[in-house]
Amino acid sequence: MADKNRDSEKAIIVEGLVKNFEVVEKKQGIIGAFSSLISPNKKIVKAIKGINFSIDRGELIGFIGPNGAGKTTTLKILSGLIYPTSGFTQVAGFNPWDRKPEFLKEISLVMGQKNQLWWDLPAIETFELNRVIYELSKSAYKKSLNELVSLLEVGKLLNTQVRRLSLGQRMRLELVAALLHRPKVLFFDEPTIGLDLVAQQRMREFIAEYNRRYKATIILTSHNMGDLVDLAKRVIVIDKGRLLFDGEFSELVDNFAKEKIIKVFFSKGIDIKSLETIGKVKKLDFPNVVLSVARTTAAVAAAELLQNFPVGDLTIEEEPIEEIIRKVFRSGKVIKGRKNTK
Amino acid sequence: MTSKYLSVFKISFQQEFAYRLNFVMWRVRNVMQFFLVFFLWDTVFSDPNRVVFGYDRNKILTYVFGILLLRALVLSARAVDVAGEISRGDLTNYLLKPINYFRYWFTRDVSSKALNLGFAIIEASVLFLLLRPPFFIQTNFPILFGFLLSVILAILLFFSILFLVNMIAFWAPSMGWSAQFLVIVIVVEFLSGAIFPIDILPNAIQGILSYLPFPYLLYFPLQIYLGKLTGAAIVKSILIAGAWSAVLLFSVNSVWKAGLKHYAAEGR
Amino acid sequence: MSNFKLEKIPKTFNRYLTIWWFMSKNSFLSYIMHRAGLLGLFAGKILRFAFFFAFIFFLLGGTDTLAGYTFNQTIFFFLTFNLVDTISQFLYREVYRFRPLIVTGNFDLVLVKPVNALFRSLMGGADVIDLITIPPLIAAIVYVGVALDPTVIQTTLFILLVINGLIIATAFHIAVISLGIITLEIDHTIMIYRDLVNMGRLPVDIYRQPLQGALTYLIPVGIMITLPAKALMGLVSPVGVISGIALSGIAFFASLKFWNLALRRYTSASS
Repeated sequence: MADKNRDSEKAIIVEGLVKNFEVVEKKQGIIGAFSSLISPNKKIVKAIKGINFSIDRGELIGFIGPNGAGKTTTLKILSGLIYPTSGFTQVAGFNPWDRKPEFLKEISLVMGQKNQLWWDLPAIETFELNRVIYELSKSAYKKSLNELVSLLEVGKLLNTQVRRLSLGQRMRLELVAALLHRPKVLFFDEPTIGLDLVAQQRMREFIAEYNRRYKATIILTSHNMGDLVDLAKRVIVIDKGRLLFDGEFSELVDNFAKEKIIKVFFSKGIDIKSLETIGKVKKLDFPNVVLSVARTTAAVAAAELLQNFPVGDLTIEEEPIEEIIRKVFRSGKVIKGRKNTK
Repeated sequence: MTSKYLSVFKISFQQEFAYRLNFVMWRVRNVMQFFLVFFLWDTVFSDPNRVVFGYDRNKILTYVFGILLLRALVLSARAVDVAGEISRGDLTNYLLKPINYFRYWFTRDVSSKALNLGFAIIEASVLFLLLRPPFFIQTNFPILFGFLLSVILAILLFFSILFLVNMIAFWAPSMGWSAQFLVIVIVVEFLSGAIFPIDILPNAIQGILSYLPFPYLLYFPLQIYLGKLTGAAIVKSILIAGAWSAVLLFSVNSVWKAGLKHYAAEGR
Repeated sequence: MSNFKLEKIPKTFNRYLTIWWFMSKNSFLSYIMHRAGLLGLFAGKILRFAFFFAFIFFLLGGTDTLAGYTFNQTIFFFLTFNLVDTISQFLYREVYRFRPLIVTGNFDLVLVKPVNALFRSLMGGADVIDLITIPPLIAAIVYVGVALDPTVIQTTLFILLVINGLIIATAFHIAVISLGIITLEIDHTIMIYRDLVNMGRLPVDIYRQPLQGALTYLIPVGIMITLPAKALMGLVSPVGVISGIALSGIAFFASLKFWNLALRRYTSASS
């Protein structure tokens, strides 16, 4: 019982999760195709190599990793689509793989490139079907639908054939379909993929709003760093099936942003070589120059520039987030964020 | 000029190989369809001396084997994808290229025919060894020449029928598939003689059918091969097939022009 | 399955019936969007039936019997084939749309729904066209069947064995979609199934051994179609009936096992 109490605030627990895929290697040619059928060359691909994390109820977490890192695989295990090789997973108090109806009514999975709306019909028909599938009462359905429709501003689109909608409009309606049953745990896999900037921003605002309003637990994977900077306080970084970092976004920046960027606009010609003594020249497009300097000496470097060079304008910036993440992957090291230190 | 279509031929051939498992499955389906027809006639003509509808065991089983081979030659085609290209708007990609669309698809058809015929010959040989049916070999040279001519006309006929059906997609994009089902899968299948020889039908129906293009796809070429048509009848059947080919190819051309206008106007 | 309770059955049944109704309704509405296409398919199905009927008619006009069966009997085999084939197409139309579901990965979104995935994949959208063709088909079966003058027992056996045949058809459809999960490469499996079943248009007696044996026991087209029709004509032994029923039971449970295996091996198409 003690365990249960401890876990009651945890929406998601993952311990020692491992997933191996068996891949059959294809052989060339027709003879090869047949021999693959008879004696396949099997290869084990280790997609997830033992990861641990837990997520509290109501948290919004960003999942970061390059292609093939194991992000989507983890999400699919957590939503019960894939059978894990070993390890313990618990979502909303259930073992996902059992896919009990009670569990499935608690969760939802939204994938940017997959859809559940009936292509040839207005979205409202899919919503009605989901009402029956999720056993919602008519009043609960109405309430939920009205709220989502006004939040996402899709009232005018409900009766339009889905195939006549733009991608952005369709994604918003997909969201309505995925959220009608008020899931407590939500998995978003690349929700902004393919959307234009305005639609991306809208999607982010909605996710944040949903998280706040319904205290829903949300895991979000994205290639789009903008999504994560805007939404997630806490991030989990995985690469090659291993967890590299789990903690506050700001911690990640402190750990990896060892440099700062100084952008200078010179009012007169200067000797470029002498700039090298101050910092590394990253971009030269005279009179604009971008320098990168060590974080600790950024202020000194700026002062030096102002003193010794004809500076028209100067700004000090953090490294772009993509750059920081790239460094995390390149180092391949496991960094102890607050959450890892158990 | 020819090298352009030669490379289309090669690419198309490789494409089929890329989906080889699907292709093998497709051939398996052909063999199963063959079984139904073969054993049906095998049962009907289990008595070797029986003659029904002007066929004896020899000739009907030759007909069935002939269908297996001739189908691969006449009814194999890639142009079934044309409707999809039109309705998806992919046609635009081709219109921008310096290539003749009909020749492009005809080349792809030819490559499909070559591959299918190759497989059909192997299948027919294996089945022949397994089932050991009697087989009728035509040795009369003028008749063989007439047979060859009728097969060439059949290929042209099928190409134009297929293209005409596919071009429905210019005006009704969602109808492409069902039109093919209706005309190619059902009507052509039954009225070409692929399932049964047309001459088991009453004379009146045969008379009507002989003025339609469909029996000239498989039935008439095989009748010529089997020697069931005499000189004048051979000439007549080739003339009718030729006339239909001319009419249909001409229609393909004018429907195509009208369709393109429509396509451009819709801006798909 | 683990929290199986008897008193839940009526409620679950009602719920699934409602879901089935909604899905069939959606499927029907989707069809309406392609009115012209619908007409083409419908005409095609009717024509195919008519052509084959005419073929049998003219064939037996010349030969009198086929493998010892009269014209009425041969037609009855053909009608029984159409009945089993049409009903299973009506119920399991969704199987034909299963491959795109897997290839696009949209099957993921089926699995995360609190509704049995097998039910959804098999029966998520009945084919409305067949709703029009089934009643006249049954009328024709009754008409030709009565002319064959069966006893009450023979008629009962016929109905029982048609249901038995439908169970085999169900097993086949389950096997086809399971195979679809395991290997993405084959998109012809359902068509191969159709071709096999099509061999049952005529009584399997026409096929030579060993094909006939294979069609009876291995790929039980004979038990699906020929056996019920023969039962009506009083041409089957009790042993035949019992082994037919046993075979469908085995096939059905084997297919369910296969489905569970496939689901376990499901590794999601994309990612």
